[in-house]
Amino acid sequence: MPLFDDVEQFVKGANRATDINELSGLLNGAVETFGFDHVALVHHVNLHAPDAATQALQYITYPDALRAEMKARRQLGDDPVLIAVQRSASAFLWSDLPQIIDMNPRRTEILNAAMACGISDGFTVPVNVPGEFLGSCSFALRAGREVKRAMLPAAQYVGCFAFEAVRRIRQLGDTIRVKEAKPALTTRQYDCLVLAAQGRSDWHIAQLLGISRETVHQHIETAKRRYQVASRTQLVVRALFDSQITFADVLGPQLSPD
Amino acid sequence: MIQLIATPDRPMFEQELAHMFRERKRVFVDRLGWEVPVVDGEFEIDQFDTEDAVYLLSLDAAGVQLGSVRLLPSTRPTLLSEVFPHLCERGVPIGEDVWEITRICTLGSGPEALAVRKRLMIGMVEFALLNGVKRFTLVAHLPYLSRLLAVGWDCEPLGLPQPHADQLVGAMVINVTPDTLIHLRQRAGVQGPVLRWEVRDAA
Repeated sequence: MPLFDDVEQFVKGANRATDINELSGLLNGAVETFGFDHVALVHHVNLHAPDAATQALQYITYPDALRAEMKARRQLGDDPVLIAVQRSASAFLWSDLPQIIDMNPRRTEILNAAMACGISDGFTVPVNVPGEFLGSCSFALRAGREVKRAMLPAAQYVGCFAFEAVRRIRQLGDTIRVKEAKPALTTRQYDCLVLAAQGRSDWHIAQLLGISRETVHQHIETAKRRYQVASRTQLVVRALFDSQITFADVLGPQLSPD
Repeated sequence: MIQLIATPDRPMFEQELAHMFRERKRVFVDRLGWEVPVVDGEFEIDQFDTEDAVYLLSLDAAGVQLGSVRLLPSTRPTLLSEVFPHLCERGVPIGEDVWEITRICTLGSGPEALAVRKRLMIGMVEFALLNGVKRFTLVAHLPYLSRLLAVGWDCEPLGLPQPHADQLVGAMVINVTPDTLIHLRQRAGVQGPVLRWEVRDAA
């Protein structure tokens, strides 16, 4: 059982780490142990929004060429890995990206640019804490190396526990809240919205919640007014954006790529 | 506040418990699509909702339920011992001081749900300290592991995650000490005890 021993050792170390240097040492060791070469622990914030960026987590050990490429690109919104994190609550290999998101020419170009910087594949663990910015922990492999699939469950633990250790050390849980100004939804509005986002009709939502169709309609209309949006689609997008509802809520257990 | 409903208190809380089973159906079956038994078409009740189960209910000032959790003694059958023993690399932890957490159910959304969850966790830790419980075990879906860890308690895996119903699940152990309580209360901005064990007359 040596694989689990390694996981346990990392987790115990990460849980006790008192500063970022100690943690990054442990993380770099784990990256090697579990068969990877590089790691990126990041919050997905728009780096052009200064107030968000000050608290956001960015620990990246990608090769210099790739870091320079990412910096030059600046616009992280196009990054297929980060888009896939929004789409999938489960961890994924970069080579499986076409099964999770539409790899349009722009996204393919970005992935190819990473490969050109000496990366063969990667594995990304989404980190979703409701009310906080979406985050992820990605492990990358240098060119010529192959992913060891048996290591992936262990890597998932490393990603989650490392991210939490950084949250704890930097006390991000207290400070990195998404803007307070967002409209709060009542529990019923939330229920209706999640079910509407799942594509259910007012009638079906009414049946599931045991309330009338008119009441369902009212809940959704009230939520739209709070967000000051005109359509249901806008409402769902806005609520997802600021984590009032989450992808896990909407997509449930059917999140695995199909 | 967090209302503790121990086995002998059940008859006094029939309405609250019925409501809890109904909310559990809404969350786990309707919203998350879990394939778990539903009783009378409206209650999510499984083989572990036995006389051994202890429930914590999170209630607001008006008595409205915001969330709930089920606690099971590890000396009796648990989800981990009966369904997921293979998730524990070195055997399922069993003992008087080990209890299992299942069915963490929060009804709000986003940050509010996180606040309710934190109070439920504090309630569980208070329950543990009052009853000499040193460790909690639980089975976590990997996509939800981050939010479980974000509570800020001392959590470790018991084995590598394994596939279950198209997802990975993993067994966790949470070590409870008085420091855990201090830490969780600080992190949640909670001053005093949240757990209440109100014993009603069976009028």
